Amino acid sequence: MPEKNIDFGKFGAQGIRGSDAVARRLDQLAGGIATPVTAKRGLMARLHYLTTSDRTWQAAKDAGLTVSDRTLKAWTQGTRRPSKANLERIDAAYKAVRRRNVARHLTARLNRQGRGTRVEIHPLNQSGVARPLQRVVEHRSMNVRRWDTIVGSWAAGDHQGLDDAWTAGVLPDLGSQWGQYEYVTNIGFAA
Amino acid sequence: MSDYDAIDSLLASVGPQTELPAPELRRGLRERAGLSKAQVARALGVSPSTVSGWESGRDPAGEVRTKYAYLLEGLSTKLTTDTDTATPAAEQPVADSAPHAAISPPPEPEQDFDDVETLAVAQPCVLCGAPAGQRVAGFAQHLDPSDCQAAPTETPKPPPAAPPAPQTQASPRTARPPRPAAANNTAPRGRAFQEPSGLADSIHEAVQTALVEHQGDVEAASAALLKRAIPDAMRLLDQTRKGARYDVIAHPWIPDILKKQTSKGADQIWEARPKWTRTALPPGRHEVTALDINGAYLSALKTHLPLGQLEHSTGFAHDRRRAGVHLITPPAWEHDAVLPNPIGQRDEPGPLWVTEPTLRLLLRLSSPKHGLCEPPEIHESYTSGSTENLLEKFRIALKDARDTALADGDELTLEYVKAMYSKFVSTMGESNYNRELYRPDWMHIIRSQAFANLWMKALKAHDAGLPVVRAMGTDELHVIGDWRRVFPEGRSVTEVKVKDTYTAGTDTEASTGQEQ
Repeated sequence: MPEKNIDFGKFGAQGIRGSDAVARRLDQLAGGIATPVTAKRGLMARLHYLTTSDRTWQAAKDAGLTVSDRTLKAWTQGTRRPSKANLERIDAAYKAVRRRNVARHLTARLNRQGRGTRVEIHPLNQSGVARPLQRVVEHRSMNVRRWDTIVGSWAAGDHQGLDDAWTAGVLPDLGSQWGQYEYVTNIGFAA
Repeated sequence: MSDYDAIDSLLASVGPQTELPAPELRRGLRERAGLSKAQVARALGVSPSTVSGWESGRDPAGEVRTKYAYLLEGLSTKLTTDTDTATPAAEQPVADSAPHAAISPPPEPEQDFDDVETLAVAQPCVLCGAPAGQRVAGFAQHLDPSDCQAAPTETPKPPPAAPPAPQTQASPRTARPPRPAAANNTAPRGRAFQEPSGLADSIHEAVQTALVEHQGDVEAASAALLKRAIPDAMRLLDQTRKGARYDVIAHPWIPDILKKQTSKGADQIWEARPKWTRTALPPGRHEVTALDINGAYLSALKTHLPLGQLEHSTGFAHDRRRAGVHLITPPAWEHDAVLPNPIGQRDEPGPLWVTEPTLRLLLRLSSPKHGLCEPPEIHESYTSGSTENLLEKFRIALKDARDTALADGDELTLEYVKAMYSKFVSTMGESNYNRELYRPDWMHIIRSQAFANLWMKALKAHDAGLPVVRAMGTDELHVIGDWRRVFPEGRSVTEVKVKDTYTAGTDTEASTGQEQ
């Protein structure tokens, strides 16, 4: 792929990978419990969410929350508090399960019965680049019709898969300059 | 030999220049023909600003001068023949029989117009439309400006046998201003005819469809329309941006100050909502009128909106071409007894983040014209290049639909239009009801513009000698006295309506204006 960036940021450009921006936006759209897990309210809300059914609890276990039922009972009753490491695991498991649960609905919203969703791509920040090396990179927008692989790999936590789906699957539709949009400041779309 | 040909053609081009009418006539001719500058410029292969230059005194040269002269000559003959044919046939014999007695006398020979010719048959003056006896550079006109107004009174009236004269020019009028050509000029001055957009019609169609769907049940139709007001407003916005210069950027990066701190909390922007009641009324009892500004948010859609991503800057002076949010230290306000503080009812001292309309209001009030306060001190800003026209077509479409609905007494459309613009403004930020637009900056700016508009209305009342008693929210203004000479009454967006009247104050001493 000739347009791919080899050493991004060498001349001072700032930005994040487009696929990371997509994942960030999908996380925003998925929403979730706003209270942090360190607060009791946030912890309890996450534990309740993870124990609504056996299937979600199994999904939490798959996501790395491997604790015994006895410990879980002690946490939910408040007799014990999870350790710092376990708090992080609970939060990670909550995020993974939440993504898995909303993925199907989100895909349907984004596909809009085949009409797709308009995506805005805000170009990278060149304010740190020396003037002679700056290039005109415009704000672009495009319609993305098929979101299944993007949302699927996001829900599975597969960064590489998401990056491939975005960089190799979507970006080349921008035309020959797609490499300029491999790194961006923001990617915006609605669902 | 070819060299000599070139020289010959060069010599031929040096000959006497084509005569052009006076600059002020050029514009009149073009406008009477209903042509825009752009159309003329396109035909001649120059830019519209060049045409403006020619119409304000500059002279074209060379080949384009010949073309321009040809165009103007053609226009003048066309307009002259048009008015001639439109003139009732009865006038022709009058002018034939007594041409010189009726019209103003021919000019004295010592007048140094080199291209003045006397007409045997009076032709309508290009300036005032009344018959004129001279032609200057091919254009029939009065030589003396006083004739231009007075001449029609001297001309014989056409026989009253032709009352339904199609052209108003044919019937003389008294005391016409020098440029009254608008009587038969259908195109608005200075603007070319534009195809009506039909956007307002689409709003009416939506209402009609909803009515048909619910078999004329107004309440059910109204509920259905209110439910789809936000997506409809977004669709209307998309339609109005067709072929526009700027994209509506819906999901830019947003600085932290514009993000909500918690799900129900607010961000750090101060919108300067007025909430002010006069502490002491003038002595005596007063009839206070609570005025309601119509469509405050609709009017506030015309404001300076940042187009793209907001960029940070510190310590710079205000740039009029950019808009956004600014961290300022507001100036001290010493007129709190008679006028509300333009930054609203702020309890905490110190710097605060305000939006563009509030800053512009403060800058305006600190200007020498008003001199009401010191200029605000700007510390840092998040701004982007701005335009006032981004939502202009959208606003005009909604305003037209609103005006039509008011004229027809159509409450359903009125309610629908109101829901469209108010919900559009309130959900354009971080709202889950409208995910297509994430512009909290626009939301704050439009609201602040509504508040600033209300503030300027309060100042207008104050300047006209009406004591302002209260300024509340977006659209509530309480004044004492005859407000009808300041604000027109009605329901259109430029007018105000009465919400309430009450008496306040005491006969004995000044008291607080709290009683309602």
